[in-house]
Amino acid sequence: MTTPTSAGGSPADADATGSAMVLPGPDAAAGGTAVPLGSRGSGQFADIRRRFVRNRLAMVGLAIVTVLIVLAIIGPYVTPYNAFEQNLANTLQPPSADHWFGTDVLGRDLFSGIVYGCRLAILVGLLTVAFSLLIGLTLGAVAGFKGGAWDGIIARFIDVFLAFPPLVGAIVIVRAVGGGVTPVIVALVALGWMTTARLTRGQVLALREAEYVEAARSIGADNRRIVMRHVLPNAIAPVLVYAFTNIGVVIVAMASLSYLGIGVPPDVPEWGRLISQATPFLRVEGKAHLWLAPALAIAITTLGFAFVADGMRDSLDPKLRGGN
Amino acid sequence: MARFITRRLVQAVLVILAATFLIFLATFALGDPFASSGEKAVPPDIAQANREKFGLDKPLPLQYLIYVGNMVRGDFGIDYDQHRPVSQLLEAAVPNTVRLAIVAIIIDILIGVIAGVIAAVKRYSFWDVLVTVIATLAIGIPVFVIGVVLVANVSGWGPFPSVPRSFTVQVPWYQEVLLPAFTLAIIDAAFIARLMRGSMLEVLRADYIRTARAKGLSERTVIGKHAMRNSMIPVVTYVGVSLGVLFGGAIITETIFQYNGVGYLLSRAIVNSNAPIIIAVVVFSVVAYVLISMLVDILYAFLDPRIRLS
Amino acid sequence: MARHDKAAVPQPAHLLEVQDLRVHFQTGGGVVKAVDGVSWHVDAGETLAIVGESGSGKSVSAMTLLGLVPSPPATFPSGRVLLEGRSLLDMPEQQQRRLRGKDIAMIFQDPLTALNPVFRVGEQIAEMIRVHQDVGKMAAKKRAVELLDEVGIPDPRLRATQYPHEFSGGMRQRAMIAMALANDPKVLIADEPTTALDVTVQAQIMSLLEKLQAERDTAIVLITHDLGLVAAHADRIMVMYAGRVVEEGANDEIFTAPRHAYTHGLLSSLTRMDHARPEKLEPIPGQPPNLARVPRGCAFHPRCPFATDACRAEVPLLVPTIPGSAHRHACVHPDEVAVAHDRPREPAPVVTADTPVDERAPMLEVHDLVKHFPIKVGTFVKRTVGEVKAVDGVTLDITEGSTLSLVGESGCGKSTAARAILRLHEPTSGTVELGGRDVTGLSQSQLRAARRDMQIVFQDPYASLNPRMTVRQILSEKYELLGGQVTASTIPDLLETVGLAPEYADRYPHEFSGGQRQRVGIARAIALNPKFVVLDEPVSALDVSIQAQVLNLLEDLQQEFGLTYLFIAHDLSVVRHISDRVAVMYLGGIVEIADRDALFERPHHPYTQALISAVPIPDPAVERSRERIVLTGDVPNPANPPSGCRFRTRCWKHLQLSDDDKRRCIEEPPTLQPASGDDRHQVSCHFAGEREVLR
Repeated sequence: MTTPTSAGGSPADADATGSAMVLPGPDAAAGGTAVPLGSRGSGQFADIRRRFVRNRLAMVGLAIVTVLIVLAIIGPYVTPYNAFEQNLANTLQPPSADHWFGTDVLGRDLFSGIVYGCRLAILVGLLTVAFSLLIGLTLGAVAGFKGGAWDGIIARFIDVFLAFPPLVGAIVIVRAVGGGVTPVIVALVALGWMTTARLTRGQVLALREAEYVEAARSIGADNRRIVMRHVLPNAIAPVLVYAFTNIGVVIVAMASLSYLGIGVPPDVPEWGRLISQATPFLRVEGKAHLWLAPALAIAITTLGFAFVADGMRDSLDPKLRGGN
Repeated sequence: MARFITRRLVQAVLVILAATFLIFLATFALGDPFASSGEKAVPPDIAQANREKFGLDKPLPLQYLIYVGNMVRGDFGIDYDQHRPVSQLLEAAVPNTVRLAIVAIIIDILIGVIAGVIAAVKRYSFWDVLVTVIATLAIGIPVFVIGVVLVANVSGWGPFPSVPRSFTVQVPWYQEVLLPAFTLAIIDAAFIARLMRGSMLEVLRADYIRTARAKGLSERTVIGKHAMRNSMIPVVTYVGVSLGVLFGGAIITETIFQYNGVGYLLSRAIVNSNAPIIIAVVVFSVVAYVLISMLVDILYAFLDPRIRLS
Repeated sequence: MARHDKAAVPQPAHLLEVQDLRVHFQTGGGVVKAVDGVSWHVDAGETLAIVGESGSGKSVSAMTLLGLVPSPPATFPSGRVLLEGRSLLDMPEQQQRRLRGKDIAMIFQDPLTALNPVFRVGEQIAEMIRVHQDVGKMAAKKRAVELLDEVGIPDPRLRATQYPHEFSGGMRQRAMIAMALANDPKVLIADEPTTALDVTVQAQIMSLLEKLQAERDTAIVLITHDLGLVAAHADRIMVMYAGRVVEEGANDEIFTAPRHAYTHGLLSSLTRMDHARPEKLEPIPGQPPNLARVPRGCAFHPRCPFATDACRAEVPLLVPTIPGSAHRHACVHPDEVAVAHDRPREPAPVVTADTPVDERAPMLEVHDLVKHFPIKVGTFVKRTVGEVKAVDGVTLDITEGSTLSLVGESGCGKSTAARAILRLHEPTSGTVELGGRDVTGLSQSQLRAARRDMQIVFQDPYASLNPRMTVRQILSEKYELLGGQVTASTIPDLLETVGLAPEYADRYPHEFSGGQRQRVGIARAIALNPKFVVLDEPVSALDVSIQAQVLNLLEDLQQEFGLTYLFIAHDLSVVRHISDRVAVMYLGGIVEIADRDALFERPHHPYTQALISAVPIPDPAVERSRERIVLTGDVPNPANPPSGCRFRTRCWKHLQLSDDDKRRCIEEPPTLQPASGDDRHQVSCHFAGEREVLR
């Protein structure tokens, strides 16, 4: 007898999400002529999807990520308290029916804070990665496809940005742009697009010479079409895997900045802030949960994204895992 | 080879110049440190005097040129707070950071490479799963979480000095460096293990490994000599990047362990908006990073004759 | 043998004997029986050829001997390997290892990847010596240099200190051979040793192997798909299909009197360079089976014209053709096969055109086409330091509805020339006229419109179809771009024209076999009725039986639609079959151009002669009497070609000339001149002269 669980009960959803994330596929761009993706048992994505679904860790990761995203969307509507609301008469309460995770040093409800932090983490993670992708894909594709001077200039540009150790660079930028969530995203994007660009460039460079690109040219396709239709769709998979791996990294980076007191304002229940504010209580009897809750939240989130990314990589490259 | 090194050197200098200019711009955009703001009222004439003292009255490009000129001579100006030469502060902090970086990277490589090789060679075994899961966990947990746990539970125990401690307590550097180095190494070793595993698996499929086996070489020689040398190539690249970052100061780790390196220097400077220190440390980080990655590129060329001889 | 057991160890019958070997792989899709009950043997000084198409299991059985098949996923349900009577697979791993590289050595298909890129070539050979012999480092290195010298590598002392990437393909394979022979092995396994090499280099390598074999009495196991190579070099032949042996026997027996339907099918689908009038190819229909789902009974029966219920019932055993004979087959219908094989083959369809090919109007005229690629260096500012003269003055024309083949070794510029003609690479200079219209002067938008008339089929069917598009999308894209109407029947009709079922339209390329993919590529090329199609090595990536299918299709399409072909190839047998005219290229220029039969029967250029003589003919009787011209060295760098005649550095005739004549070759570049006064046969050599090289 199988009882549906939150993880096991939604293979169909997971399926759809999985393929939608990994592979935008050619059909989206092709208009009506194409056979809808996933409606058939075969097709190149079906194999990838099958391998992904068979990967237990990847499915666990997918469940985590799904829950987090749902939490991020509906969180503030279901949490019992306003995450910002301080109640100095009611600080450092232990977990109770009223306050599931207790209250923090400012008397805020910790559970609501964690949920708000989740929303912030997911938002910053996704937006940063999306913008990095946009910049990285564009510059990488231009460098790889155009070559010559374009490639040289973009390569030097990448070198300059790569010269900043990530955290140091982010500190400089956030201080230059000002405090708040937007400057954090700006900083993380500014220091996050280069690897995407390099990856894309390498892929495009290799695919530019592919015979099917030549074939497209031989039937009169212009550069724009070749890049959008023939090169990028084939180049994008490893880039997306990298981007997905990077969501966790971005979330940790934001938390690190907050931990240092940079970026997100001090009153926002951001996970890094919560951890830094709770650090003094780590060894205080009965108060360790203040620290533990946000620390676990970050760890679980990054793990979830890492599992999904690993699963994506392995299912795209069956050789590495020996799927035969 | 000489041409390769020259080219790489020119590249490094240009990158450093471009990056320092960006830093300079960003710092300038911080605004005027001597202007009145909020409750801090600064008399205009004093502000003006301060601006002149720190050279902030000159046009921006000139400031940059002066700055670069001074930098080349090792002069990073004096800090806003205690009015001490920044170069002195750096001089005190850099050796600590270098020690930390080197110890951390050695632990990294040892753990990471060994774990990665075991996972690849014994693929699908218990060890492979163990390495993969631990590595994923280690990468997912922020360094300030690991560091804080170590500070709370391990420091002050056995050979590890307690954190924080009175500045009157003298601790030999090799004891002081252990815990922060280990903290840094956990995450990096996890990256290296994963990288090594993937790269080793890739190399083990190569034709020349089949050739090595067909020669009748023992499995140890096949892995330890033929596969190792090839699969180390991407790991060297990563170690280079990592070492470059570590030389620039491990901000969070040094701060958590109150370790007197450039990272801790920077985090304290951030708290009091001490721009000359911030600029100096950032510039130092960038220069260290660029130079280290240049050296690694050259080392890389030695590992891979295909690059060396092209 | 130290032991004197009562149960006396019988004197081993053979040097190396494999008995009932089975190698299975456990996969998600079931058990793949890569090798399924195979027995063979080889004796000292003898060459056994194991022949089969991809997936026949020919390599796996040999690799098993060297412990190179990883287990898992492989399992070995049965089998014994006896080396001089000692059972190899029963030995402990350490003992087996001592034999690897010492008694049994192996050379592999791709010399590019078989040597470790980060160690010096000399070191790698010395290592092979030191694993098995008790010699010092210096002695081993010295021996490595000697070995490199023995396999004909010039300047071996320097070469030993170089890395593999500094060697050409042929040199690397020589180095591999030097390594394999370092310990004087008793058995040498050569797995497709020349497949990755040019035909003139193949001739060098094979004659080297034969020489070394004669000197050392080595047993060679030659694993190959190339029946020509087998006819020229094997003593005995074993034919494999779907993991089993279907026929084995002496070289002549297999070629002249095959008794298995598959062997016969293979031979009938071969193109032959020495046949004056091309015969119609009789391809084997269908595809080789998926090894996880091998058909019941005789694995070949679904593709076999002679199949009966008996074939489907059970796996036929290997039986002697006549009692006691070593020629054995596993066919239910050997007599029918014999009859079929002796029946003369049908001649190829004669083009029933109103005007003979050579009197028709030219469809394509290329005049003095040049394509140079600049060599650029510099980190920030790129400056041009030289040019690769890939195509350096090519002039040719192709008459309507005919086929001109452009042949030459890799790097001769044939593919670049084709791409420059189509303006897929922008030509540096020269003109191309298609149907009287100058293509080189067209603007980009005019060019796109002109692409309707000129198309290309690519070499690698795995690379030429976008993996993210269905067949329907791939084909529709052309209509979309070049302005054609796609009705409900367009795509199905097109697929049917190239012999594919219309249901395949919505599949992705990876769901097809190589031959089927190439049909899709052909469908894309012929859609919208082009006038002129470049065929860039369209069959060289395909198995022999599939090659014949595709060649027949191309010929049928040419007749049906009156297509004009430019056929790019390195395989002269295929060229002889399909062409009307042939042009031979060397280092960017045409050295000889003539009508097909004139070129093959009466070649005038020393390079053409060497090229033709290097191609083995799948007929042992012919091969025995043929003399091979073995060229020395490799093709020079096209960035820095030799002065005067570009071929002179490798020319066999140049060596025989007087000093004055030699100077002429060095100083004066030859131009194309009519050979023996025949305008249709032009040759670019100061000392051109006929030489019989075909038979």
